[in-house]
Amino acid sequence: MSQASQKHPGSFRDPAGFIFQKNGILYRQVNKSFEASFDAFEKSGACQKFIDKNWLIPHQRIAENLTGDSEAALFLQPERLPFISYPYEWSFDMLRDAALLTIQLAENCLEYNLQLKDATPYNIQWKNGKPLFIDSLSFEPLRPGPWIAYRQFCESFLAPLLLMHNNKQHLPELLKAWPDGMPLATVASMLPWRSRFSIHTYLHIHMQAKMSKKTTGKNPSTEGFGKDKLKRIFLSLKTLVQSLKTPDSKTEWADYYEEAGQRGEYLLAKQALVKQWIREMSEIKQVLDLGANEGAFTEIAVANNLDVIAADIDPECINRLYLQGKKQQHPQVTPLVQDLSWPSPGMGVNNQERSSFLSRARGDLAMALALIHHLAIHKKMPFDSIRDMFLPMAPQLIIEFVPAEDEKAALLLNRLEGLKPAYTQERFEHSFLQSYEIHKKANIAGSSRILYWLSRK
Amino acid sequence: MNIFMLYLDPGSGSYLAQIVAAAALGIVFFFRTIKLYILTFFSFIKRGFKKEKKEETKTSE
Repeated sequence: MSQASQKHPGSFRDPAGFIFQKNGILYRQVNKSFEASFDAFEKSGACQKFIDKNWLIPHQRIAENLTGDSEAALFLQPERLPFISYPYEWSFDMLRDAALLTIQLAENCLEYNLQLKDATPYNIQWKNGKPLFIDSLSFEPLRPGPWIAYRQFCESFLAPLLLMHNNKQHLPELLKAWPDGMPLATVASMLPWRSRFSIHTYLHIHMQAKMSKKTTGKNPSTEGFGKDKLKRIFLSLKTLVQSLKTPDSKTEWADYYEEAGQRGEYLLAKQALVKQWIREMSEIKQVLDLGANEGAFTEIAVANNLDVIAADIDPECINRLYLQGKKQQHPQVTPLVQDLSWPSPGMGVNNQERSSFLSRARGDLAMALALIHHLAIHKKMPFDSIRDMFLPMAPQLIIEFVPAEDEKAALLLNRLEGLKPAYTQERFEHSFLQSYEIHKKANIAGSSRILYWLSRK
Repeated sequence: MNIFMLYLDPGSGSYLAQIVAAAALGIVFFFRTIKLYILTFFSFIKRGFKKEKKEETKTSE
């Protein structure tokens, strides 16, 4: 590989090829060993169909040998996505839709005598509020026998979805704890007894968990395992995933705006200020809405034709935001479950395979509205740490300071008396103004809160 | 042509589980098709009966 090209640290598992960056552009190398399979995929018409249907990321073929690698057969330039997210940052319905897209692709492959060779949620990203399959090297000619990615699908999609559905809780953390998929025996033990009465759950989880324990080492005969049986497996998986219901547990943040709306003119005044300031900002495209809740302020950014990464600690709120986006109300939003006091770490091989949230969170404007008191009081983060977290994210920052006498801040501070001396507006300004300068500052009507527009020095 | 066996080693329990699942699902879907056929048949008869009744009331009017 030439020095100018840099292999992506997360792209090493597939011997068919890898992703690399050269001169700031992302490419995919297809190795000689996979050339014939990739050609078969392109020539079959499936590739174009999947791209046309917005199921698969579009790519361009590049004739030049970009890496100088003797193993290289051809190069692809996939469309660049503005933001990469990981399954442990998705809400229930995001993971469910990603699973359905994966089955849809596997099913459609059969028409072209192809098969989907892997079924990991890491092959899915989000574009215009919809899932998009990003690994163009996951398709190969169909070979007789069972689906090669069956166990992977069950462990990495079905298992967390079933646990969330059966326990009626949003649990995106499951995918952080088991990034390669959950062992089926563990899942079977965590599912309620009644789950055995669903034929699909029984076959794909409980029975498979039992059979996986008894590995024989012998090759079972695959004779007679044709397309009809594969279709049955896909239909069963699809039926099961479609039947899974969004956990309806109410979280403490679910009615935030309803409650905030009762606080007189406060919400309206804050919305008016944010609207006005965003309009005044020139040349911004990407916004990070941190603590987005259900997206009242995300909507303002969207109305100004901006792309938004909307992050919140509450998976219930993020799920609602995702479902709203799906209805085309704001398709340029990427909703993400993110606890800013425990942001997604760098994970995998050398901690580089999946990059940390803070290294990915980049934009032109960061918004932290009604957030600082949660980070500084509830999570006990010093102002300097909060500032250092926001600083690399964006050159502009709209941040709301919630003073100690505010009803909500007081409620948190009453439990933590010792934090009172450190939680003052003076200390907040002293910390933030070391790295930012105040562009604008305004009191929010109907409250004692202050809104700052800060610019990075 | 090179097929990569990345995630499923032949001989593993998952491989066998899929074979058994496909066979079991064959039976499940077979009975489901029969059930659907019977339901469609009766709903068709019911609809035809209702239509007849409506026509009868119309002519008597």
